[in-house]
Amino acid sequence: MFKNLMIILTILAFGFMMPGETITVKGSDTMVIFGQRLAEEYMLKNPNVRIQVTGGGSGTGISALINGTTDLCNSSRPMKKSEREKLKQRYATLGVEIKVAKDGLSVYVNDTNPVQELTLEQLKNIYTGNITNWKQVGGQDAKIILYSRENNSGTYVYFKDHILEGEDFVPYAQNMPGTAAVVNAVSKDKNGIGYGGAAYGKGIKFLKIKTDAKSPGFEPTPENIRSGDYPISRFLYIYTRTRPTGEIKKYIDWILSDEGQSIITKVGYFPIR
Amino acid sequence: MKITSTIITLLLFSININAQDSLATKDDIGEVKGTIEGMNETITEMKNFVDIIRKIKWSGYIQTQYQTAESAGISSYAGGSFPANVNSRLQVRRGRIKFVYDQEITQYVLQIDITQNGVGIKDAFAMIRDPWIRTFSFTGGVFDRPFGFEISHPSGMRETAERSRLFQTLFPGERELGVKFEANAEEGVLSYINFKAGLFNGVLPTANENDRNKDFIGRAGFKIPFAEQNLSIDGGLSLYLGKVTTTSKYVYKMDESSPVRRYDVDSAAANIGKNFERNYYGADFQLYYDIPNFGGMSIRTEIITGKQPGTEKSNSFYYPTPTDATPKLYNRNFTGWYISYIQNIGLSNQFVMKFDVLDPNTDVEGNDIGIVGSNLTVADIKYSTLGIGWVYHWDMNVKFMIYYDIVQNETVNAAAAGALVNFKSDVKDNVLTLRMQYLF
Repeated sequence: MFKNLMIILTILAFGFMMPGETITVKGSDTMVIFGQRLAEEYMLKNPNVRIQVTGGGSGTGISALINGTTDLCNSSRPMKKSEREKLKQRYATLGVEIKVAKDGLSVYVNDTNPVQELTLEQLKNIYTGNITNWKQVGGQDAKIILYSRENNSGTYVYFKDHILEGEDFVPYAQNMPGTAAVVNAVSKDKNGIGYGGAAYGKGIKFLKIKTDAKSPGFEPTPENIRSGDYPISRFLYIYTRTRPTGEIKKYIDWILSDEGQSIITKVGYFPIR
Repeated sequence: MKITSTIITLLLFSININAQDSLATKDDIGEVKGTIEGMNETITEMKNFVDIIRKIKWSGYIQTQYQTAESAGISSYAGGSFPANVNSRLQVRRGRIKFVYDQEITQYVLQIDITQNGVGIKDAFAMIRDPWIRTFSFTGGVFDRPFGFEISHPSGMRETAERSRLFQTLFPGERELGVKFEANAEEGVLSYINFKAGLFNGVLPTANENDRNKDFIGRAGFKIPFAEQNLSIDGGLSLYLGKVTTTSKYVYKMDESSPVRRYDVDSAAANIGKNFERNYYGADFQLYYDIPNFGGMSIRTEIITGKQPGTEKSNSFYYPTPTDATPKLYNRNFTGWYISYIQNIGLSNQFVMKFDVLDPNTDVEGNDIGIVGSNLTVADIKYSTLGIGWVYHWDMNVKFMIYYDIVQNETVNAAAAGALVNFKSDVKDNVLTLRMQYLF
């Protein structure tokens, strides 16, 4: 009897043993790759900490933060006022915003496309359906095939707010589940155009973007993004519900350290400092 | 020669095969293209369908609770009065399902409440937002009255079991039939202020209009976030300008000239059809602060004062019903307020404390009520309620609440008789609520 009891207690003890602290990170698909790289490096240095990074979109991450199903939220857009209100209602906090990187939102076309640059206005007109043929922007006589993101994506929201100036995307734009999917689609579609984070841009052509018809076009290079010449750059954020403490604080401090920022640079984004 | 002819035959056969292969490949490509185009059409159709489905959002919650009262059959604001001889009960306090069809600049909302008492409409409105800066909106239908803070704090998120006695008295059901204009900017300097105002029937949430008056309800508010400090200071001023129309010739008002606090009654037949002011003036303030290593806290307070035309038995607004089509009208000056403190402890626990007061007739004290000839009634008695509770969020859907209401009434004059006798001392009407909520 005593022996059986000891076995049960031992099993229970192992069952309830804390394997170390787990930090969950959810949100922006744009930030998944660098989020995972950061997590891998941090876990190597801190084997007692487990960090789980998943995507789903900035909106999904912020919802998870509000619902209490994630510790950290990766977001490629600032939290909306309505989302802060929900945090206030539930936790009596505004959430803590930490800028962790800078990103140039790139516009991709197929390698074979002769178009080299677009103005912000042309880009808006393409995605709102006022320009439908490549020849209207100096390309071949071919219908423009639009690739976009789903509406839970921070990239989608950023593009809609800043490029479309709040107007709706044309309904025939194809919504892809991630920036990688946009790149993949554009690389296979000679008439395709898409947008997304710079880190996903390998293997396809970036368009130069011009603020207006008279200004020069800039590619989303590190120099142009750092200098602010590239007109579509944005911050990437981590959000917490309350002021970070304990292991979460250590992790965020490490991301903002030279070591963390150098990893961000290696993955193709730009350091915050 | 035979060999030569055989080679030629084979070559010709081979060419023929190649030609056939080439034709077959072209046919195949054409077929594949057709199939892909067909699939594209199907996908486009499905995408359109999915896009429509995505615009429909539905959510809801159910609150199941057990309550025990200090004595049987008490009148209560903790989820409704207890029936005679009943001092404990199990209830579905709220069973909400909300459907929203969201087109971003237009929105259709329908919310119903399903409980043991039946099915009722809570929200039924359409909203149109300006398509340019998405700051202004127009709403029509049944929706929350735009007054103060407590109405707009949703029941599914609220940390206390119920709204204060003050709000339940002035705004039964919270909602009303009306139209509303709202200004609420998402970003920029204008996002620190907000404004909402509208015209309403001035009756119960889904009741038909019963007079010629429309009531104005409005609130001008501010929200000032201090992100660095994780602090927010919000507040607003509210106004209700309305009228009720009496169906009775008996109109009571406080007799200012009498040394004894008493109602004077005017019984002129011409009183029938007269309008009486229903005016409320409100101010609300909320403070939110994230206490490091502990959790977010909020302090919320609100005060409302004004004129309330009620009836003999009720200090809620004057409203003739089929069972009482000609109630006597009682004019009262009232004041009410509450203050609440909510402390989050970690992510799952919340401690809450709330104190609310409703003085439905500020012209009288408890000792005036019950004096022979004063005509003062149970509806003139002042109440205060101290609520203490704990909320545990089990997961993102489920939360448990334990909440205790300590209710105290003003004690009336020792000479009181009839329905007032019970109020010579504090009525035993405290209520304990144990609640489970499932929200999705």
